[in-house]
Amino acid sequence: MTDFRIQIGNIEFKNPIFTASGTFGYGNDVPDFVDVSKLGGIVTKSITLHPREGNPPPRIVETPSGMINSIGLANVGVDHYMREMVPSYSTIGTKIIMNIAGSTLDEYIEIIRKVESISSDIAGYEINISCPNVKKGGMEFGVDRSLTAELTRTLRTLTDRLLIVKLSPNVTDIAAIAVAAEESGANAVSAINTVVGMSINPMSWKSNIYTVFGGLSGPATKPIGLAAVQKIFHSVKIPIIGIGGITNSLDVIEYFLAGASAVQLGTVNYQDPSAGEKMIDELETYCKDVSIDSISSLVGKVKN
Amino acid sequence: MIIEQCKIIRNDEVAGGIWEMEFSAPEIVSYYTGPGQFLEILLENKWSFTVRRPMSIANVEEKRITIIYKIFGRGTKILSESKIGGILDLLGPLGNVFSGWKEKYVPILVGGGVGLAPILNLFKECQKYKIHSNLILGARTGREHFIDHDPSNGIFLTTDDGTLGTSGTVIPTLENVFSVVDNPMVYACGPLPMLKAVQDFVIQNKIPAQLSVESYMGCGTGLCQGCVIKKRNIKAKAHSYHERYSLVCMDGPVYSADEVCFD
Ligand SMILES: Cc1cc2nc3c(=O)[nH]c(=O)nc-3n(C[C@H](O)[C@H](O)[C@H](O)COP(=O)(O)OP(=O)(O)OC[C@H]3O[C@@H](n4cnc5c(N)ncnc54)[C@H](O)[C@@H]3O)c2cc1C
Ligand SMILES: Cc1cc2nc3c(=O)[nH]c(=O)nc-3n(C[C@H](O)[C@H](O)[C@H](O)COP(=O)(O)O)c2cc1C
Repeated sequence: MTDFRIQIGNIEFKNPIFTASGTFGYGNDVPDFVDVSKLGGIVTKSITLHPREGNPPPRIVETPSGMINSIGLANVGVDHYMREMVPSYSTIGTKIIMNIAGSTLDEYIEIIRKVESISSDIAGYEINISCPNVKKGGMEFGVDRSLTAELTRTLRTLTDRLLIVKLSPNVTDIAAIAVAAEESGANAVSAINTVVGMSINPMSWKSNIYTVFGGLSGPATKPIGLAAVQKIFHSVKIPIIGIGGITNSLDVIEYFLAGASAVQLGTVNYQDPSAGEKMIDELETYCKDVSIDSISSLVGKVKN
Repeated sequence: MIIEQCKIIRNDEVAGGIWEMEFSAPEIVSYYTGPGQFLEILLENKWSFTVRRPMSIANVEEKRITIIYKIFGRGTKILSESKIGGILDLLGPLGNVFSGWKEKYVPILVGGGVGLAPILNLFKECQKYKIHSNLILGARTGREHFIDHDPSNGIFLTTDDGTLGTSGTVIPTLENVFSVVDNPMVYACGPLPMLKAVQDFVIQNKIPAQLSVESYMGCGTGLCQGCVIKKRNIKAKAHSYHERYSLVCMDGPVYSADEVCFD
């Protein structure tokens, strides 16, 4: 029997397969045929201080081996989330990581204060730093080392729960941002968020996405995610959660070898929301076949 | 809703560029609640076709489902090349249903192009319940039609080019039928210009109506939040969720005509 348990901060997860933010709702609203209790964890949709409608359509378009989205953080807002969603977590059978997004430092602070003011079964926070900071002229938190550091340091003082910083690939040096997060008290980093992309209709000459640019996800981005994880692995000691284009158990193995201690599944959930469950079974078979005692023993073992 | 691997029983071109496919789907049928619902088809070579293709249910017969589809692009082309005996990965049934047609209303059904499927499904369902309905189907040209123009039995065909049935769009025929029907309820599905025209007509004439709408879909399960349509007459608030936009896969595809906005 392979040991699939993994540890991030002081939390133990039963296995390293999580679902990614924005691709699995709030965890309690997925189709009935999905057994979420088999998952190591669920990361919620990004939750903001106020409810958000999101962007006008078209919001998504298929692209080669992937898709582009510009949902615009459509979500119920933190108050509704705490009232209507959080109570169901006591019986959900897996760990919930709440993804939060803000357009100012104060918004992130206020969200965490609200959640920390009640007792709940939320295991930790994933901080979406791919959000434009309105006070800093719309510059994304995640492209700047000092903004990332300030945000992480401040949020660290507000909670003892897990703090995971989710990194954007749309930067010149992702490892440097990871280091800033680690030095400021993050328990882990997750990488990658979507890659800036565009798709044009050659007949109408219009962008296929209302906001012109969107975020590319799916297998097309897997090599980008793997390279990011490997670069970060050489720069930080905290665990890395690998994300980007994972569709089967061998993809998971690749991410582990590159340096991930856990992974998140995104776009694959749209084809099959029970993909995670199936991948855990596949992973067991793989590990048995190649005699691996502990999944953690693979972390960063790529041969160069 | 469930994901089921379904065996293809039949796949024929029934009119110019319009195909009908039947498959065995016992599990999906066990969840089916009525005309209006749809399926999401995952094509083979699935990462060449990241998103499932939504297709309305055109008929349910025992444990079998029929869809009617139009070749629109890459995916529907591949679908038309599927062999009998082959397996399709289907997610469904999804979405809501047409309502009210079993009640006091006289249904006027309007369909065109890719919107034929749910309308024909409702037509057959009305026949099953011995409810008299009127069926108006539009197409660009005669060879896109595959049933007979039969006004005495309430079946009216129209073509843009006048090669079959009444020449022109479905709207003049809708006006004529409406003028002789007491207590009508209009049910429509079809291309955007048709839906818009039907919406204008029913709102002007204060006729209750339900429209089955389309939008680009990512997952069919509400998880991606991609397939939104704008709502009509919304009061703009500073902060809201699902008041300005509605999620077609979960809250639709059938909407009351005064609920949605096509601009
Ligand atoms: C609820 C619903 C029910 C539908 N029912 C039917 C039906 O019964 N019969 C039928 O012929 N068609 C139906 N459609 C439309 C059908 O889904 C598209 O024609 C089909 O997905 C096109 O696939 P493609 O690969 O051939 O096109 P592509 O080559 O991918 O693209 C061509 C065009 O097809 C449309 N399209 C592509 N992907 C999607 C998608 N995921 N969701 C919606 N539109 C898309 C877009 O307008 C696109 O520009 C329905 C759509 C919806 C939303
Ligand atoms: C439709 C869609 C919505 C997403 N929404 C969010 C979000 O709200 N917050 C976030 O941090 N990431 C969001 N993501 C990014 C994913 O969590 C993930 O990082 C990305 O999709 C890469 O993984 P994948 O290739 O497995 O999809 C979204 C992705 C998609 C496709």
